[in-house]
Amino acid sequence: MAEKIISIKDLSKSFGKHEVLRKIDIDIEKGEIICIVGSSGSGKSTLLRCINKLEKQTTGKILFHDKEIRDIQRDINEYRSRVGMVFQSFNLYNHMTVLQNCMLCPRKVLKVSKEEAFDRAITHLKQVGMAPYINAKPAQLSGGQKQRVAIARSLCMNPEVLLFDEPTSALDPEMVGEVLEVMKELATTGLTMIIVTHEMAFARDVSTRTIFMDRGYVAEDDSPAKLFTDPKNPRTREFLSRYLAG
Amino acid sequence: MENPTNSLEWMIFLTEKYLKMFLQGTWLTLYIAVLGTLLGFVLGYIIGIIQDMKVGEGDLFIKKGLVFLLKAIASIYVEIFRDTPMIVQAMIIYYGIRQAGVDLTPVVAGVLVTVLNTGAYMAETVRGGIGSIDQGQREGAWAMGMSPMMTMFYIVLPQAFKNIIPEMGNTFLTNLKMTSVLNVIAVQELFMAAKTVGGNYYKYFESYLVIAVIYFVLCFLFNKLFGLMEAKLKGETDYALAVEYMDNQ
Repeated sequence: MAEKIISIKDLSKSFGKHEVLRKIDIDIEKGEIICIVGSSGSGKSTLLRCINKLEKQTTGKILFHDKEIRDIQRDINEYRSRVGMVFQSFNLYNHMTVLQNCMLCPRKVLKVSKEEAFDRAITHLKQVGMAPYINAKPAQLSGGQKQRVAIARSLCMNPEVLLFDEPTSALDPEMVGEVLEVMKELATTGLTMIIVTHEMAFARDVSTRTIFMDRGYVAEDDSPAKLFTDPKNPRTREFLSRYLAG
Repeated sequence: MENPTNSLEWMIFLTEKYLKMFLQGTWLTLYIAVLGTLLGFVLGYIIGIIQDMKVGEGDLFIKKGLVFLLKAIASIYVEIFRDTPMIVQAMIIYYGIRQAGVDLTPVVAGVLVTVLNTGAYMAETVRGGIGSIDQGQREGAWAMGMSPMMTMFYIVLPQAFKNIIPEMGNTFLTNLKMTSVLNVIAVQELFMAAKTVGGNYYKYFESYLVIAVIYFVLCFLFNKLFGLMEAKLKGETDYALAVEYMDNQ
């Protein structure tokens, strides 16, 4: 059995009276590619944001290498540097060039040398096919290009886990492909990935495990082969029939 | 010019005769405006950042208390200086400090008043500038392991700074003109110069016209200068492809 990286135990989260996550239990092992699917408002993004401590859970635990992340106070920045996040709206630093975007955090957070940061940036920008654009500012790039830079930027931190929060949802249809292509490549490198997505074909083909979330619950958690062809939960079936028909 | 007969001739006459006084006045006006504005910006940024501070639930009690105290002081300061006229502030600060036994020169008091006044207005501008930066920029920084302080200095402030440059230019021009009120505490700036010169010949209209021209030219030139700086800071709209990495496309 592979090494367990993240373990979510009985996790719940409410915004006021509104319960967004209910009793979530998920274990994530090294190298897994987990796709989380489900309709809007089912709590997928909130779950990711809890893992990265952008939101605080109401009850329950999230363990990172058996350490409760709620107790991580002083080292929260060190923790986040090991758990990367790619956002729906890219969140590139608008006042910096592509290269500066990729070099800033390795330099300032990980304190690597300038040369090392540059090498990492070029390596990962090449990986996502954006190396020629090192001098461009985010505003000069297309959505797909921005997202590829954002992925490279996260990779420059050498994270153990990379979280993707609907990485293609803000993109024009013709740009979705280029980002998914990059993510498919990444999936072959052994990096642990947790991906919230509405791209069902991608989830089916690339994930090692697919989780279907419904109204804050994990309704189904299975291999994509089973979840997509023979879903046990009627809600999953209903959801998939709507997506796969369209 | 000898025996001036009309207003224009009087203006030339006064300018020639009291050139040194007008130049000294101009210099002092610029000195107070530049120094007061720059230090005021620094103060404004500090206050603006304090006002934007947030505490988390998990923070230590002492940190919460300290942040609360700093914020309270910042708010009181901003309110007081925004809600009273600069001319009154100048009087109170100058005479107050002198009464307390500190030997304060009018110029130092003038700079101090300008700094405190600018700081209070800039604090609000900075806070607005910080607020205008999309939350995603911060999350993008936090998620990469940056602390809130680093996020502020590397991500939020540089972008906020760019957005509030026009407002900073405005503040400087306002200060340049507002130094004229400092004549009430006997700062020998431009307004004071005109008052003195005018009094010598009972030619107030002409004397004030001279400094009106000087104020106008100064403000006009600085305005143009800020326009150029702003255009320059907007930067290139184009970028060069790094051709050395092209083959990897």
